[in-house]
Amino acid sequence: MNAGRSAPGWWVVLGQELRDVWLGGRGPALTFAFSLILSAVAYLVATNTALNFLEQREAVGLIVQVSVAMGGILVVIAAADAISGERDRGTLEALLLAPVPRRQIAAGKLAAALSLWPAAFVVALPYVWFLGRGVGVVGDAAVVGLLVGSLLALELGALGLVLSLFAGSNRVSLALSLFVLLALFAPTQLSAGAQQGWAGDLMLRANPLTAGVHYVGRVLVDGHSLGRDADLLVAPAVAAIALAAVALIAAGRLRLPPGGAR
Amino acid sequence: MRRGLAVAVAVLLAPAWPGAARASVSVTVDRVGVATGLGKRFAVRSTVVNAGPGEARGLVAHLNVASLRPGVYVDPEDWSTSRTRYLDPIPAGGTATVRWSLQAVNAGSFAVYIAVLPADAAGRPPTVGRTVRVTVAERRTLDAGGILPLALGVPIVLGLAAGGLALRRGRLGSSA
Repeated sequence: MNAGRSAPGWWVVLGQELRDVWLGGRGPALTFAFSLILSAVAYLVATNTALNFLEQREAVGLIVQVSVAMGGILVVIAAADAISGERDRGTLEALLLAPVPRRQIAAGKLAAALSLWPAAFVVALPYVWFLGRGVGVVGDAAVVGLLVGSLLALELGALGLVLSLFAGSNRVSLALSLFVLLALFAPTQLSAGAQQGWAGDLMLRANPLTAGVHYVGRVLVDGHSLGRDADLLVAPAVAAIALAAVALIAAGRLRLPPGGAR
Repeated sequence: MRRGLAVAVAVLLAPAWPGAARASVSVTVDRVGVATGLGKRFAVRSTVVNAGPGEARGLVAHLNVASLRPGVYVDPEDWSTSRTRYLDPIPAGGTATVRWSLQAVNAGSFAVYIAVLPADAAGRPPTVGRTVRVTVAERRTLDAGGILPLALGVPIVLGLAAGGLALRRGRLGSSA
């Protein structure tokens, strides 16, 4: 009881949200779907007998990139539901009446949404190990995946939370989050030629998602050291910190519209 | 008479033309055989010699890789990320050395060779150095058969866990 009384508000919210995500079934279901995607990719890669040594490193890079991207999607799905979901369920008013500062409510919800990323990372490890052990990149892949994935998860989680704070409904929040996510991922599909030149390079480095994905490729495929292309992590780190700050500031101003929770 | 004059002018002007230098350029490599393992890196050093009387300009050196056995697909870009070098002018009697870094990405027997051609190479054969025979020992890096237990096992375990939780929730809900 004493521990419960002294626990900060965000910690209480986090505990409640973690139970909701993981015991409520959403977390296990999303993690299961994530494992199906990784299994399909890993199976296609591993049964390709024409794969050469370099292409196998590329395959490890692909698994890490898919893990990081899908992990980000899981987090954004959970975060986009954080406030707008409460609105839709008609529980936002009760939540706001709880004796917990609104920023702490948002922090607890963001932390709970972020819990999907470590789970996704743990699920991805066996696939990384399987594909990467023969080409000696398991350690690098784990470190790079954890580093880039954590930055992107925080950034996307905060983005989902910001959209959830302002969206009128959960559907709008989810749709907007996924739209922004796709827009950020779109440049990764540009041809190598389009990414060259100062404009292409700037876009690659300024977009946190393309920068993170390229960092993974530089380390795992090109064999660069972890520090050599560390400048590519500036955009993901800045975006993660800035969006988390925006989410917490915006959460402090969260109000119920006149006439009720909706 | 006119024809003889034209030949004499061509001979006099020839050294000034990059194309004319082609005939007097030769390529040598520092080795003719490499034995290595899959994934290992190695290097080949080539030397372009200008034995002609004039400066050789506009030369392009290009590295290529070919499998000596059928059925092995080779993407030379995977072997070396920098396969084309634009050489500085080589003075008469001078040399230019180029170091080519490669990574053995396929197992088997391969030929690595370096060709040098002038920038205005249309219709002219390149000058090619001796073939470097590269033997890459097989090393098992991927167990294709082992993926099935993993690809099925992980989703099955997670699916059972998710299903078990859903069942527990259902039971708790019905008992409440």
